[in-house]
Amino acid sequence: MRRKFCNLMGKSIILFTAFGVVFLMFLMLFHILSESLMAFTEIGIHMFLPDAQWRPVSENPQYGLMPVIAGTLYVSGLAVSAALVFGIGCAVFLSFYVPKQIAKVLLSFIELAAGIPSVIFGFIGLTVLVKWFAGHFGMAAGQSVLAASIVLGIMLLPFVVSTCQESIQNARNTYELAALALGFSREMLIVRIILPAISKGIVASAMMAFGRGLGETMAVMMVIGNSPIYPKLLGRAQTLPALTALEMGSIEYGSRHLSVLYAANVILLVILLLTMVCGHLLHRRALQNET
Amino acid sequence: MKRKLKHMLAGLVFCLLGIFTAGVTLFLFLYVFYKGRDVISLSFLLEEPAGVPVGTDGGIFPALAGSVYLGGLSALMGGLMGIGCAVYLSFYSPNGRFRSMVQASIQGLSGIPSILFGLVAYTFLIYQLGMPRSLLCASVAVAAMIVPFTAIRAKKILDEKGREYMSNSISLGLSREYALGRLILPACLAELIETTALGMAYGMGAVAPILYTGAVMQSKIPEKLTDPFMSLPYHLYMLVNNGFSLEYAYGTAFVLMAFLLCIHLICKVISYFMDKKNCNRYS
Repeated sequence: MRRKFCNLMGKSIILFTAFGVVFLMFLMLFHILSESLMAFTEIGIHMFLPDAQWRPVSENPQYGLMPVIAGTLYVSGLAVSAALVFGIGCAVFLSFYVPKQIAKVLLSFIELAAGIPSVIFGFIGLTVLVKWFAGHFGMAAGQSVLAASIVLGIMLLPFVVSTCQESIQNARNTYELAALALGFSREMLIVRIILPAISKGIVASAMMAFGRGLGETMAVMMVIGNSPIYPKLLGRAQTLPALTALEMGSIEYGSRHLSVLYAANVILLVILLLTMVCGHLLHRRALQNET
Repeated sequence: MKRKLKHMLAGLVFCLLGIFTAGVTLFLFLYVFYKGRDVISLSFLLEEPAGVPVGTDGGIFPALAGSVYLGGLSALMGGLMGIGCAVYLSFYSPNGRFRSMVQASIQGLSGIPSILFGLVAYTFLIYQLGMPRSLLCASVAVAAMIVPFTAIRAKKILDEKGREYMSNSISLGLSREYALGRLILPACLAELIETTALGMAYGMGAVAPILYTGAVMQSKIPEKLTDPFMSLPYHLYMLVNNGFSLEYAYGTAFVLMAFLLCIHLICKVISYFMDKKNCNRYS
């Protein structure tokens, strides 16, 4: 009897947590959509006109989100491209040019960097990069899209390096012996065989890294300068999560301004969803090709 | 000859990229530890913040304690929820609509940026439910953020280790709950705790979810769940963003990073020994 009761308890707790997670997801989605409803019905397309500005508190408020959306995509795109170049290079370096034991240590070291909180990245970016930019580029404050992209790129590096390293290992197991038997040199093997073999996997992990970059808040917010204008490489800009974090504390609940912020996050989620789905599909295809 | 040159050039490029990347990572750690070393002292760790503006003198003890409270609470909620969910997905769910709903929810939650947890907690918990800006409110936001983190990793652990136990137990006529409680969870316990600890470290470092839901610049160590609290990353952010004191910011960053690194290192060491033990058992 007692055992039966215990079993029932265990089962109901597990079911409860499963329901809890589904409930949590629905609650988040429902809340975000319902709060943004006012913005979509009352302001609608005016949020997305390319020449509308972000002036939510002026007398004649304008809620143009396009500059901020452009900023978000620009920063993430730049960061991912930088992270890919260095990440792939580093993964190749670790798998081919370094003794296995040292590579293992270095890799776990790089993966450890994934555990550094984003606010520390922002802090280092602010005290090192932004300061350097201000000194060397003759900029007023040094806070810029470039600084944000570099910081974000460094944050994405551990993820890119470890996924690339894994797929290089897989490709190596398949092709290395055959290629060496044919007399390929190490560089030929890397450039002609390994890199093309893992290219699909790289694109998939690039999409996932892009998705992570889009949602990054604190590190970007601390170095990008937070001006909601169209992004230029050496100018200030703004991203959607940073805009949210910066303004949500000072807005009245139930105001149109807050609703627009929610709408901005709906847009962010839609972009994220598209990226993730693309990444997922590519990843699946890459796995099929590899096996 | 030309080909040889090309090959050497390619090798050089790869080496440079690799060394640069490893160097940047090394720099991150060294920079914070080097710059922060002068501020660290026992009084910095154990005193309350003082000075005008707050944080330019004294210590960071309430922030340290607040971070630990926040991490513990959210790891408790988020860890239990994530592991329960992983158990459901691994052992209970028939292939049906609810299973794919749970799976999609975990995937979805893991993709949601951290700031959205803060935003939703801020408007939903504080404005709609009328909760005060408090430890509880922030912990709920952080817990929601680490649920997918623990669920995905815990499911992997349970799938790898528990599948065989479960099918054997069921064929012996044991109940699922018995197999779980007596065999599978004890066998995976160390790894599940490790996963929760990593989730805790992830949650403790995040600023975005606690930004307006409970963290404040100065408070005592929270006594009730409804008290506001100080937190290390938030303290660091405020020090830097308002330009109060860079020196103390370096110190705070040092403590935060050392704390999180310790959690990661302990987890790494444990999993290293666990691997060794398993290897010995099966070989």
